Amino acid sequence: MADVQLAGITKSFGGVTVIPGLDLKVPDGSFTVLVGPSGCGKSTLLRMIAGLESPSAGEIRIGGTDVTDAEPSDRGISMVFQSYALYPHMTVAQNIDFGLRLAKVPAAERATRVAEAARILSLEPYLDRKPGQLSGGQRQRVAIGRSIVRNPEVFLFDEPLSNLDAALRTQMRVELAQLHQSIGATMIYVTHDQVEAMTLADQIVVMKDGRIQQVGAPMELYDRPASEFVAGFIGSPKMNLLPGRAIERDDVKTVGIRPEHLHIADDGQWRAAAKVVETLGADTIAYMDAEGLGEIIVRLPGHMRLKAGERLGLSPEIANLHYFGHDGHRMEHVA
Amino acid sequence: MQMLNTRTPRPARRFWHGARSSRLTAIAILLPPGLILFSLFVILPLTESGYYAFFDWNGYGTPEDYVGLRNFERIADHSVFHTAVGNTAKIIAVSLFIQMPLALFLALLIYRKTPTNALFRLIFFVPYILAEVAAGLIWSFVFDGNYGVTASIARSMGQESFFILADRDWAFVAVMTVIVWKYFGFHMMIYIAALQGVPEDLIEAAKIEGAKRPQIVRYVQIPQIRPAIIVSAFFAIIGALQVFDVIIPLTNGGPSNQTQTIVTYLYSFGLTRLKIGFGSAVGVLLFLAAILVAVFYQRLFMKGSRP
Ligand SMILES: Nc1ncnc2c1ncn2[C@@H]1O[C@H](COP(=O)(O)OP(=O)(O)O)[C@@H](O)[C@H]1O
Ligand SMILES: [Mg+2]
Repeated sequence: MADVQLAGITKSFGGVTVIPGLDLKVPDGSFTVLVGPSGCGKSTLLRMIAGLESPSAGEIRIGGTDVTDAEPSDRGISMVFQSYALYPHMTVAQNIDFGLRLAKVPAAERATRVAEAARILSLEPYLDRKPGQLSGGQRQRVAIGRSIVRNPEVFLFDEPLSNLDAALRTQMRVELAQLHQSIGATMIYVTHDQVEAMTLADQIVVMKDGRIQQVGAPMELYDRPASEFVAGFIGSPKMNLLPGRAIERDDVKTVGIRPEHLHIADDGQWRAAAKVVETLGADTIAYMDAEGLGEIIVRLPGHMRLKAGERLGLSPEIANLHYFGHDGHRMEHVA
Repeated sequence: MQMLNTRTPRPARRFWHGARSSRLTAIAILLPPGLILFSLFVILPLTESGYYAFFDWNGYGTPEDYVGLRNFERIADHSVFHTAVGNTAKIIAVSLFIQMPLALFLALLIYRKTPTNALFRLIFFVPYILAEVAAGLIWSFVFDGNYGVTASIARSMGQESFFILADRDWAFVAVMTVIVWKYFGFHMMIYIAALQGVPEDLIEAAKIEGAKRPQIVRYVQIPQIRPAIIVSAFFAIIGALQVFDVIIPLTNGGPSNQTQTIVTYLYSFGLTRLKIGFGSAVGVLLFLAAILVAVFYQRLFMKGSRP
């Protein structure tokens, strides 16, 4: 088992600096999710940890050892690619076995380990098939199988679920969480989907433009976003970000309130008209137009009947307001 | 070649019915030009030479002197024809076992898109662009025992000047060198295009699994470009059957017919001696050989669609 430490990691492509000096600690055994909009440098960072890209400056340590210049195969890592990167000309068993064969592991041990991986991932019936004969979810499992047979200390995932349909994605998310629990290795997972980040991570790293915006447990980020960017990025539906004048404050640039922290009240301080109402069953999500403030999203109980065009008063839970200053950072102690 | 076709999915039945008449119209309009040209320039000459092969005919007037299979018998008994077939077989072997590996090796070195690689690609491709006759001439100068580059090299090493193209044992080695030089660029280009199509992810995944460069080549890249290798081998074999215009300026089949190939044999003993019936018979044999190769090849390697 191993932790991963990044110190002063910088990456430039030609003259363009994609990651300008980044520090991060990924604790041993954690499930750390790197999340951020596409193009923010998540894959680049992951590829540097994997050794597929070398940093322009800085140091990478895995389990305390400096691996900045080590070959990918000498880092004790494995990686699952978005495209799965399975070898089309090999069977499922050969795909899973490939790394062991290269490492000259004795045949008997290889067979046991492949069988064990196939069992964990329910791939036993497919071992003799080629990847082309598998569904997306099965291919994904083979890619994971190929990672786990080598018993790496750190698993790297680059958007592994983004090629799957929504139902399968949810299912694989659960399986990945179970896998992490059962093998307990360190996992670093890249995604642009904050729902995946919230559900899988014990540590989320929010990135933007190659910089870390905030690191923390999912609910920490949800409850106390460090910046306006994180506030808007984490949570679905999104946090409402209203101008400071909504609460009559000039020093506050933006005030944030999550949809579930708004209530309908006749004497509410904001007046709003419903535009679109989505009934999800347990909840009703109302997209409303608040007078002078712009769009506002409200999460209401499932049986709340609300018609488009209806005008209401809204009142926020004062304790759950988030204040952001003109620099975009969270403001503490705003009375 | 079936493998180069993209198979169109069978249209739904309803669509098929609706589209049938317009399909027929399309066939009626688009098929005749191709069919007429193909008949005029391929089928007709082929059947004609198939017909002439049974005559003793000098090419003037109409063939009248029917000789049955005698042309074929004479070919079968002719020792020069045996040499020609042997030489063609040697060219096939050299193409498959020297030229193709060389082309693959170079392709692996320069397939990535960089400016230096582009320059090398161009340099390696020049021999292929060159006209065969020009290539033959250039190399006949190179091999010249008096003024040639090889002669100077031999002299500088204290060797006597050596007319390799006039040497019974070595002339064909020289010819095969020129053939490899002339055509490796073609195969290299096929491999380069194929290697560029191999997803980078597969190579990176192999690196993470611990594969070094030779293992990546062997376990990932070569299996991935297998279809391209199969096609290039096919072109190599068919091309070897047709080698002609490089040889004429180099050796003209000599010395003492040691460097004849099937086509130079056809040319020397059929056309230049005005024995069109005899030449046609050689042509028919060559055509049958090509058909055989194509059919066997299709059966052996190109069957089924590979991912
Ligand atoms: N090999 C490369 N050469 C040049 N620019 C690159 C390369 N790889 C990534 N980039 C750039 O780096 C930035 C971050 O890319 P990436 O790490 O793939 O983002 P993400 O995975 O967060 O979507 C992008 O602007 C991308 O264009
Ligand atoms: Mg990415």
